[in-house]
Amino acid sequence: MQRLLVGVWLVLSCALARADNIFVQSVEFASNDGEYYLSATFNIGLTPPVENALNKGVPLYFVVEFELIYPRWYTLYFLNKRIAGFEQTYRLNYNALTRQYRLSYGVLQQSFDTLTDALDVLGGIREQRVLTDSRLDEGRAYEAQVRMRLDPTRLPKPLQVYAFGSSMWDVSSSWFRWTVRP
Amino acid sequence: MNRALIRVRKWFMDRSMRYVVAVALILGVAMLYLLSVASTDTSQFATHLPLLLGLGVAIVVILMFLIGFQFALMRRRLKARVFGSKLTLRLVFVFSLVSVVPGVLMYGISVQFLAGSIESWFDVRVDSALEGGLNLGRVNLETGLQELEQKADSMAVHLSDETSVSRVAVLNQLREQAAVHEAALLSPEGTIIAFSGLDTEELMPVVTNPSILRQVRLHRSYRAVEEIGYQQLQLRVAVPVSQPSGETEILQLVQPVSQKLARDAAMVQEAYRDYQELSLSRHGLKRLYTLALTLSLGVALLSVLLLAIMFSKRLSAPLGFLAAGTRAVAQGDFSQRQPVHRHDELGVLTESFNTMTRQLSDAQTAAQRHQEALSAAKAYLESVLANLSAGVLSFDEHFRLRATNLSAENILGAKLTPLIGTSMQHWQDNAPKLVSIGAVARTRFADQDEATWEQQIEVETQTGKQVLLLRGSRLLEGDEKGYVIVFDDVTNLLQAQRYAAWGEVARRLAHEIKNPLTPIQLSAERMQRRLSDKLDVADSDVLSRSTQTIVNQVSALKGMVNAFSEYARSPDPDLAPVDLNGLVLDVLDLYEAMKPRLSVELADGLPAISGDSAKLRQVLHNLLQNAEQAVAISSQPQIIVSTSATENGAMLSVRDNGPGFPEQMMTRVFEPYVTSKSRGTGLGLAIVKKIVEENNGTVRISNPEAGGALVEVCLIGAASGTLDEQPLAMNH
Ligand SMILES: Nc1ncnc2c1ncn2[C@@H]1O[C@H](COP(=O)(O)OP(=O)(O)O)[C@@H](O)[C@H]1O
Ligand SMILES: [Mg+2]
Repeated sequence: MQRLLVGVWLVLSCALARADNIFVQSVEFASNDGEYYLSATFNIGLTPPVENALNKGVPLYFVVEFELIYPRWYTLYFLNKRIAGFEQTYRLNYNALTRQYRLSYGVLQQSFDTLTDALDVLGGIREQRVLTDSRLDEGRAYEAQVRMRLDPTRLPKPLQVYAFGSSMWDVSSSWFRWTVRP
Repeated sequence: MNRALIRVRKWFMDRSMRYVVAVALILGVAMLYLLSVASTDTSQFATHLPLLLGLGVAIVVILMFLIGFQFALMRRRLKARVFGSKLTLRLVFVFSLVSVVPGVLMYGISVQFLAGSIESWFDVRVDSALEGGLNLGRVNLETGLQELEQKADSMAVHLSDETSVSRVAVLNQLREQAAVHEAALLSPEGTIIAFSGLDTEELMPVVTNPSILRQVRLHRSYRAVEEIGYQQLQLRVAVPVSQPSGETEILQLVQPVSQKLARDAAMVQEAYRDYQELSLSRHGLKRLYTLALTLSLGVALLSVLLLAIMFSKRLSAPLGFLAAGTRAVAQGDFSQRQPVHRHDELGVLTESFNTMTRQLSDAQTAAQRHQEALSAAKAYLESVLANLSAGVLSFDEHFRLRATNLSAENILGAKLTPLIGTSMQHWQDNAPKLVSIGAVARTRFADQDEATWEQQIEVETQTGKQVLLLRGSRLLEGDEKGYVIVFDDVTNLLQAQRYAAWGEVARRLAHEIKNPLTPIQLSAERMQRRLSDKLDVADSDVLSRSTQTIVNQVSALKGMVNAFSEYARSPDPDLAPVDLNGLVLDVLDLYEAMKPRLSVELADGLPAISGDSAKLRQVLHNLLQNAEQAVAISSQPQIIVSTSATENGAMLSVRDNGPGFPEQMMTRVFEPYVTSKSRGTGLGLAIVKKIVEENNGTVRISNPEAGGALVEVCLIGAASGTLDEQPLAMNH
């Protein structure tokens, strides 16, 4: 079982133009037997209203999105062909009774005493299989991108109205992009 | 074209506007419904909320655009001073006031109420009660934890003392004494040294987190309430167990929280969370409801405004129609009819307007018909006047010419129409004869007693005197006085009468003269026969010459008398079909002596003409005689006699190369006793004309450009019968 490291990026994401709340710290993209694995570390910072809501018991849903794109020179970026996509949703909530943060991901659950611990675990994505080689052509340049964001559509509805269009409720990272040559 | 286009566009705009408004209203209502559903229900509408709001805003914008458009239209109409546009504006204003003010009032109250009612959900007591409930649960659990920790501590003391081999038995005993659900003794690395559980079937201990192990190894006990499922809690405590060997083992106790407590606690916690959620989103809720209200208000008010504009337009539209109709009527167009679609007063007004225009138009057509009848009567009168052979002149009081007819112009040989409206002093240049008539009329009309009068006057013309018979009468049409003169040219009539008188004289004279002529001639001849032998040569010569003179003169006199009697002869012609060519050849046989200078051109296939052959011979004789006399002085005399067919008969023409008819006599050669010859009677052509006319024919003279004279006699074919009109005959 030979693991081939495609690329590692350590991002010093301090001077980013956008006022992001989530930063990409590092991304690792590796291939093994024609399957690609993504590991990434996000540095998650919650805005005061979001943190407040979380501490009042409102569950937050975070989404990690990965896309592989075949860019065509003649189309605009958002019209490019999406070859593969991968999306993973995490649920983070606070139990006021036990004073614990709880991170759910599929059937797996984890409790944390502090928010920092919970966010650390939430921000680390370990070797997630995102696509298989069969869908890629040899020698072609593809573009991969990944990001994490708070899904505002899964907030309680009144909060959604409140959050709609508000930058304080926009917790997300920019797309992090790199080129993939199979 | 352009106007039609505008009308089509207007129709389309009105129609489409109606549909647009209807669609906007339906959309608005649907939007409001969805919004209300979305804000109360946690269904999928929630995700479409921004879309709904956007739609609402779009509808409001569309409505505002429409209203703006309508206002712009209204402004344009106002500027163009379209009748009724001010009323429209005022109606719109009133409608808007009536709808907007209560709407805004309701809106304000609703918003206030909304804010108040949302705020009223959040009560400090509820808040603290929930908080208290939560705390109660926490304290409860904390107490349980403390108890469990105490048990764990005491168990740890026992376990650290005990060095016996059977730690499992000790642990089991200790667990049963402490009434703990599950107890496990772990090595510092986390491997299980001993395990004891109440539930014998579930032998696997709960896996312990490495961080807990780490914490306990540092002699800090761990305790926590853990959620193990829905409304299921357990207490976990881990304490260090110090072994004499110096190693630190770990004792972990797990005790499930009683089902009831866990459920109650969870319920309190959920209530707390829901309350907090609501409390957090109260601004959001307020904003949502306010937005929904505002949008509803916007849609409702704008729709009402739009409807107000449209209704106002509809209300004031008949005014515009009526104004346009009135203007059209003022300009004389009575064809305006406005459709009546309504049953209110405006409809009645429109109806009566239509009735009025209909009546006006009827009156107008009646007047027009009347006018036409009048002008037809006038035209009829004019045509009667024009076809009258007598001349008609009418004068006003001051003897200014008022009317005249064609015959008057023909008789007077002048254009009279330009003189209408002028008085006598202007007539001299253009119509001198009119002056004479005017003068006579003036004097005659001066006599008030005479209503009508009749007078014959003579006026000078270039060709001689013209005799006019005038009949005057006064006109009394209303207050106006006027005069009418009807007159005839009686010159020809008088002449004809004269001819008849002359004919009578000639006939008698011829009769009287003719009788003694033969005895004179015979006596002279006998005198010569008897005396010529008895006289000497000289005397006999004188006698013979004198006798010859007498005979010659007598025969000349006879010819003259014959001519007179011929002219005065009875006019009854003996009409029979005549072969014109045969007649010509017969006559020409007698003119043996003229043969060299005479040429004949006879047309083939001439129709037989109707006539008196003896008299027609006379015609040819007379014409040949004139021609012979005319060419006598020519060096190369030539006379051409020809016949040809005409439309309704045949023509005989005699042409010579003599001097031609004297120009000044051209018009009068057919009159008797008109001659240019010293010994002429002037009866030759007069007889020709008389005979030809008796035979229903016509005769023309002319001087051809080639020179000489040409006489053409046209006669009617025998088959054609008589002519419709009898030519003017000179009877005696
Ligand atoms: N062929 C002709 N050529 C020239 N003049 C003619 C001719 N025929 C007639 N006239 C003129 O018409 C006049 C009238 O003719 P007519 O009536 O025959 O009378 P008369 O021959 O007795 O003079 C003549 O005097 C003559 O001047
Ligand atoms: Mg003659």
